[in-house]
Amino acid sequence: MLSLLGLSPALLAGATAEAQQKKISSKPAKASAAEPRIEGLNPKGTPPPIQLIPMAPRLGSLDGKTVYLVDTGFEGGGFLLNQIQLWFNRNMPSVTVVFKRKAGPYAEDDPALWKEIKEKGHAAIMAIGH
Amino acid sequence: MGIPTAPLVTIAFKDLAKSNAAKRGMPLERICFTPHPVWGKSEAQMYEYLEGKDPVSGKPLMKEVVDALTSPLTADESKSGTTTPSVGPPTYVDTADNLQQYFLDNGMTDYLPIIIPTQEKVDAMLKGTSHSPDEVLGKMSPAKGAFPEWSYTVKHAAINAVMAGATPDYFPTLLAIASTGISALFSSTNSLVSAAVINGPVRDKLNMNYGIGAMGPFNQANSSIGRAWTIMSRNFCDGGVCGQTYMGSQGNVVNFSNLIIPENEKDSPWTPFHVQRGFKKEESVVSFFMGFGISQGQGGKGLGMKPVPHFHEAISWNTTPFANMYGALVLVDPLVANGLGDLGYKTKEDLADWLQKNTLVNINDIKTMLFSGPPRGQQIPDGTMIPRFARADMFNFVVVGGQTNPYHQIANMRYQLSVSIDKWT
Repeated sequence: MLSLLGLSPALLAGATAEAQQKKISSKPAKASAAEPRIEGLNPKGTPPPIQLIPMAPRLGSLDGKTVYLVDTGFEGGGFLLNQIQLWFNRNMPSVTVVFKRKAGPYAEDDPALWKEIKEKGHAAIMAIGH
Repeated sequence: MGIPTAPLVTIAFKDLAKSNAAKRGMPLERICFTPHPVWGKSEAQMYEYLEGKDPVSGKPLMKEVVDALTSPLTADESKSGTTTPSVGPPTYVDTADNLQQYFLDNGMTDYLPIIIPTQEKVDAMLKGTSHSPDEVLGKMSPAKGAFPEWSYTVKHAAINAVMAGATPDYFPTLLAIASTGISALFSSTNSLVSAAVINGPVRDKLNMNYGIGAMGPFNQANSSIGRAWTIMSRNFCDGGVCGQTYMGSQGNVVNFSNLIIPENEKDSPWTPFHVQRGFKKEESVVSFFMGFGISQGQGGKGLGMKPVPHFHEAISWNTTPFANMYGALVLVDPLVANGLGDLGYKTKEDLADWLQKNTLVNINDIKTMLFSGPPRGQQIPDGTMIPRFARADMFNFVVVGGQTNPYHQIANMRYQLSVSIDKWT
């Protein structure tokens, strides 16, 4: 149905709960020739164009590199990153790990931190908790 | 950022993370997943997650994290350019029953039957305003900053207004609501709710109910304005898609039609809410609140006092479970407002001031509360009782109800903004 209406798979990929809803919704009745057809207007607003962003080149190896662990502020995310720091210390000791808490609420930008990571780090892991 | 980054997300947010990465221009972002939740797990349990597998890919989790940062990019991962998402054709033609099903199946409704928005009905709705159908009305996101904003026009609002059962007379109020870009279905795991307080002449012009049953389903304007806000919040930003753009763990029944609260100005002894916010009494205004939800106020310390119940103490008492990141929206029947006046609270500000000073919490307790916290930068000794809310203006009052009993309801919600309805006529 979604593809019939031209909705973008990228927008709608993996709509688990919606899919569950659809499983229990009745199928549209087949229209008989006698039933009048009417025109309904699309109520949806206009999404912005999507600018594809090329991913940054990868490192090949983390040996001797500095990896920033960024806590975005969700409950539990920082604790998980602490364990990741421990994991690197035990399993990849040549990696320097730096823990940082992003400033502000989760949706707020933190350009100062991004600048620091770009200048001083080689890679980042961002944990989004709960 | 310009350097390799591996987002690490819990499995419960898989659909949200993948779909939002695509909307942000990185459909192939290398997202790694842990089991859910991490919150409330011990250090040992979290380390076990790291030693285990990514529940989406089935691969060892930390190997996947390292690979995400080190494995060479594919050609698709390096792509740039622009794509334009489609929301479907401008119109659909079918039988009425099949169109009902189309709208429902495609997430355009609140899962209740709608009025099919035909051109004729939409044209009639547009007669409710002097504004051009093509005027861009605003931008909305399921959660500002977290999701891209969509734009929409006056005509889009008219289509959604028809669907919700609104009449052209209600349209300026709906345009005022939509113009703010506030989604009634804010995406949070907290199942948040939204409220719109209506003040001024528009309440009587639309025959809104601010008396008996005001906040129930007993009035076309109250009901359809609230419903339209929910439907617009779905269609104006791809909102309310569970698992993607709506994450409320339990959901909230208030989201069906939101809290639409026309203030009972004529029976109130106090200044109307919009006048408190700087508008003239004769202006029609809608004011917005959002937060965790609403609870009853029949219980509470002091309500059994004779002959005049101590309403102020009950209101204070009933904020006990409230988080102090939001304030308290107190909805009082005119009998309560007048009773409070008899007790000496001649203005809403008088009452807010008393509540802020006398609604106290132990510093030891507030340190353990979720979404609450002690004042920043202050050293407060253990055991000290401090104000639960930092400022008096975190208490807001609206008088609503039909005086069948002196009751109040109270919501852990914060004030957002107030906008004119008159400018949309």
